[in-house]
Amino acid sequence: MDFLVQAAVWFIGLFQKGAEVFVGLVTGIIPLVIVLLTAFNALIALIGQERIDKIGEAAGKEGFRYMPLRYLILPVVAVFVLTNPMAYTMGRFLPEKYKPAFYDAAVSFVHPPLGIFPHVNPGELFVWAGIAQGVTTGYGAAETAALAVRYLIVGLIVIFIRGIVTERITAFLWARRAA
Amino acid sequence: MQGITKFLERIGRGAGRVVGTLYQAGRESIDQVVKNILPFMAFIAFIIGIILATGVGDALARLLQPLASSPVGLIIMSLIIGLPVLSPLLGPGAVIAQIIGTLLGTQFASQALPAYIALPALFAINPQVGCDFIPVGLALGEAEPETVEVGVPAVLFSRLITGPIAVIIAWVFSVGL
Repeated sequence: MDFLVQAAVWFIGLFQKGAEVFVGLVTGIIPLVIVLLTAFNALIALIGQERIDKIGEAAGKEGFRYMPLRYLILPVVAVFVLTNPMAYTMGRFLPEKYKPAFYDAAVSFVHPPLGIFPHVNPGELFVWAGIAQGVTTGYGAAETAALAVRYLIVGLIVIFIRGIVTERITAFLWARRAA
Repeated sequence: MQGITKFLERIGRGAGRVVGTLYQAGRESIDQVVKNILPFMAFIAFIIGIILATGVGDALARLLQPLASSPVGLIIMSLIIGLPVLSPLLGPGAVIAQIIGTLLGTQFASQALPAYIALPALFAINPQVGCDFIPVGLALGEAEPETVEVGVPAVLFSRLITGPIAVIIAWVFSVGL
């Protein structure tokens, strides 16, 4: 009899732990995310798609100096306003040879802003929130805020590098294919 | 009198538009929470609950600990996850990144890992981002089939180079955390 009781306690304990985790997540993350999502959804509706299209048209131009526009500003604006996955439609303004690099830069930016702008990819919030929740518990909310800002900044540097590297590799593969 | 009516009408219209937009934004955000965020939280809470309660979490954490606690380990982690064969398989829904992230999170919560590891770790768990989605993402950008054929390997190879670079840059920026 005792054994059965112990087994039952152990069994329900598995799920009680999960319930504790769930309550922590819901009360810790959801209220802020709802308010932020609402603010940014409204902002995006007020800005409108047409204004974004203009940046896309400019970013397709040839030349080295358009790289920051193509692999930094365009992916950031696209992800921020159109969010995942509609951001990748902005690639339609670019010449074929730049499309893979633009996709790479844009898709790499769907997580770094999550600490400050969760609306860009709420379905994959935990790429950020899993680690952030732990840092908050262990080291405090101020530390998490500093982490969020740095995640965003490093993300910007990384997508720019990724755009350039992928553009080069695409050109290389294309040349080899033609030969 | 007519001027005043027109003025009032314009104010009413403007306010109506703003309130309508905000209300719609609220509706969308609740939709996103119910459709995307809450289901994932339920799933994560269940998995993490089991992992914590059974002690599997400690075993997994002990496995990840040596990789997660040094720069070289994190670079190796990013190289493994970014392998062109593995990355498209690990990509979907960012599920793997989210689970590893949450597991590492428990290690930060107990201060088993120092806070400055968090930034490079965020990049080390994620070199595969979007690798499962390249053909669809390119199609959304109205790419030709030939571009997709070249673009898929280009992005996959690029990750092998830029994945570790991202970890190193994050490491530099983690000074002072």
